[in-house]
Amino acid sequence: MASSDIAVVATAQTPSVREANPSEVQLLVPTIAAAIEKAGIERREIGFTCAGSCDYLTGGPFAFVSNLEAAGAWPPISESHVEADGAWALYEAWMRLHEDDIDVALAFGSGKSSPSNPAEVWAQQLDPYYLAPLGLDPVSLAGIQAQALLASGKATERDFAEVVAASRRNAKSNPNAQLSGDFDVDALLAEPYFRQPLRKHDCPPISDGAVAVVLARGERARSIAAAAGRRPAWIRGMDHRVEPHQPGMRDLTSSASTSLAARKAGYDGGPLDVAELCSTFSPQELVLRSALGLGEEVSVNPSGGPLAGNPIMAVGLVRIAEAAERVMDGSAGRALAHATAGPLLQQNLVCLMEGE
Amino acid sequence: MSAPPKEHLVMEHLVTLTYREKLTENLNRFADNLLEARIVGHKCPSCGRVYVPPKGYCPLCVVATGNNDEVELPDRGTLTGFTIITPVAYYGQQQTEPFVWASVLLDGADTPLTGQNITGVPHSELRMGLRVKARWKPREQRSVEGMTNRGWGGFGDVVESFEATGEPDAGEEVYKEHIF
Amino acid sequence: MRERCAIVGVGQTHFKKRRDDVSIAGLLREAVDRALEDAQLSLADVDAVVIGKAPDAFEGIVMPELFLADALGAAGKPLLRVHTAGSVGGSTVVVAAHHVVAGIHGTVLAVAWEKQSEGNAQWGLAGGRSGGIGAGGAFAPWMRAYIQQSGAPDYIGWMVAVKDRRNAAKNPYAHLKMPDITLEEVRDSPMLWDPIRFQESCPSSDGACAVVLTAGGLVGRSPGPPAWIHALSVRSELGSFPGRNPVRPQAGVDCAHDVYRQTGITNPRQEIDMAELYVPFSWYEPMWLEGHDIAGPGEGWKMVDSGETDIGGAFPVNPSGGVLSTNAIGASGMVRFAEAALQVRGLAGEHQVGEVHTALAQAYGGAAQYFAMGVLRDTPPE
Repeated sequence: MASSDIAVVATAQTPSVREANPSEVQLLVPTIAAAIEKAGIERREIGFTCAGSCDYLTGGPFAFVSNLEAAGAWPPISESHVEADGAWALYEAWMRLHEDDIDVALAFGSGKSSPSNPAEVWAQQLDPYYLAPLGLDPVSLAGIQAQALLASGKATERDFAEVVAASRRNAKSNPNAQLSGDFDVDALLAEPYFRQPLRKHDCPPISDGAVAVVLARGERARSIAAAAGRRPAWIRGMDHRVEPHQPGMRDLTSSASTSLAARKAGYDGGPLDVAELCSTFSPQELVLRSALGLGEEVSVNPSGGPLAGNPIMAVGLVRIAEAAERVMDGSAGRALAHATAGPLLQQNLVCLMEGE
Repeated sequence: MSAPPKEHLVMEHLVTLTYREKLTENLNRFADNLLEARIVGHKCPSCGRVYVPPKGYCPLCVVATGNNDEVELPDRGTLTGFTIITPVAYYGQQQTEPFVWASVLLDGADTPLTGQNITGVPHSELRMGLRVKARWKPREQRSVEGMTNRGWGGFGDVVESFEATGEPDAGEEVYKEHIF
Repeated sequence: MRERCAIVGVGQTHFKKRRDDVSIAGLLREAVDRALEDAQLSLADVDAVVIGKAPDAFEGIVMPELFLADALGAAGKPLLRVHTAGSVGGSTVVVAAHHVVAGIHGTVLAVAWEKQSEGNAQWGLAGGRSGGIGAGGAFAPWMRAYIQQSGAPDYIGWMVAVKDRRNAAKNPYAHLKMPDITLEEVRDSPMLWDPIRFQESCPSSDGACAVVLTAGGLVGRSPGPPAWIHALSVRSELGSFPGRNPVRPQAGVDCAHDVYRQTGITNPRQEIDMAELYVPFSWYEPMWLEGHDIAGPGEGWKMVDSGETDIGGAFPVNPSGGVLSTNAIGASGMVRFAEAALQVRGLAGEHQVGEVHTALAQAYGGAAQYFAMGVLRDTPPE
């Protein structure tokens, strides 16, 4: 039985940029420090730390070890690492907090996509016998999904463009966003195809970034939030599910694991103020909205979402941070955040948060 | 139906991935100084420890360090730990003969330089405490192309080796806490 | 702890230099199927899967658990990938157990693996560059420092190598089985990373390990005795920093004392019946005996010298043959927990060390900076 008295109490993130000058660990040093400072705690009060990153993205085996230097691992700390987006590191930290020997935990995620070619790197995340040798890059795969959506009648190219326009518009109020602005839907539709039916703007930018989140339990969460003049973002539930890997074995126009994870996280389809979704490609937002049964009244990706900034390995945790911030500052009463991994939404995580 | 022959069960999938990351500012300056045969590290403004190469932060205090924290170090120091590696063949391996892999703590530094070659003594006489000095490559041969943000490579293309100076060995208290 | 947790099923593959007879998926299923068989459970009983392995560069597939989701029976379930360098097999058990202890899932399958023959671990350890020193090259200077500091005679490393290979001959799953290996053979084997010789080093193995963990109330579904988890701990420290002691890393000391504290153990040498410790290079046996305060400073090598760590000794270490006999890097940490579990359940067959009530499992990784440890017992915690 999952606990519901664990909350996000502080977050910090770097602006999402095309190419960051600092190294990945240099991005993490001030980010983790900022989250800790916002929480108003001593570093030593953190009972468990979990990191999320991908060696192949950073560019070498054991690359994640360097990031430990940003975590203040001396004297020794209770710490672990997942080869996954920071959202899964948060999941592990949340899970660990269920045991009452600790009441504060830290999770962080980081990644610099600028040094490599995403089409090369992520093609290696595929079945090595049947898919990787085809050199399938994420954009081509997303194009296949987009084509399936159009063919099913569930969406139009105009729908894709509207997602992009909304993302860029929302991103105007997000100081950490990489791409923002006012874009006319018809002008977007007049752009040439990049990977038909996707246009360049239907795809995420290449981004470098890092994010850190502090979790606390019960009274500790209340006192930390109160000291900062905010309220905790209580995690009412969090769950993640994976689907079969082969795209041909899945309905690409829906996301069964997102629906399941949301249900298991306790999202009953009731009122929701904000949904931060890891819709890396514009058509995916439509798939995810449908999988979660989001009505028009829900504010989707007020931060701009991954289309406005896509620091892979941090981007999922950024969604949780963005949703949490809106609950903490009182502008949202109930918020949902989503993270994804693997090709074409193969794995999905949902985090449901509420203010008191 | 008989089992397929073994050669049909194995496929080769060789992949090359290229990563191009600009050197961080601290390593860029470190590299520029190396080309001038100068070794410049960072001193933490909080605890005063000297890091070489500079990381741009102190991992113990977890504070940033920058250009204002630069300190120049002499190019001599003490061997704090070593082994002799018998090379194994693998794709990209260029070593063929046993080579020394040693840590050298420069005088005044708090972190040793790792992966250094030691010359001037036979392998059998290598020992912790040995006093050594950098043998720089001729200026026109120095290169920092191999340096990366991940700490792989760099020194070997500016410093030929660290050579035994002939001074008396440093005492255990010098190297004991800097074996790595 | 909130929920009690026990290991009710253990499975290992036959570890070999090359498992050309199976794909990666086949390798994992060999271990998973054995673990489920041991637990008398099926994939349908598994609520969540936690999987660990060493760097993806060792096989060349990024986040391979994603393409393996089907083979692991994970579709529709949570799947979490742990990556903590060499300690990963151990930390994977820790993370999996926390799912149960936290009360989130009742039955968790933990899997750890490496199929090194499909890539090149030496290339991987070298970061794809020339002049790689391997893992042994990184640890050799510290082993040298231990030998110097402790005054241990040079044959201690050879004794550990002989003990572990002879033990492995009694373990059906071990990679290297050398029942007749002698001290002289080890002493005369080629030098790899001075002072460590070929026969003092671990092999490179393909293989996988799986354990099934369940909540205390569910152990009745499995016919075999459970291995109850009484303590779990992970500790990490910076790999290099001014003043670091890599010979006796503080994280290793802290991790051990954390599990001792959780179990009320004050005299580990007396109160623990046996240990499976991650010893990839011979000298790490005395180093960990001291590094986890089982032996006092400079006393670890004497436990080896006197035969105390033999199967028939007072504190058997690595009756399975240990990492010195079998090293599929990602799996090795989990094999320590699996073997410790077999011992407390009395199911270790020919390498059972007698009645084991309390067993210690340990895995380490990185620059001897990551530690995962656990204490298992044959009775449930209060």
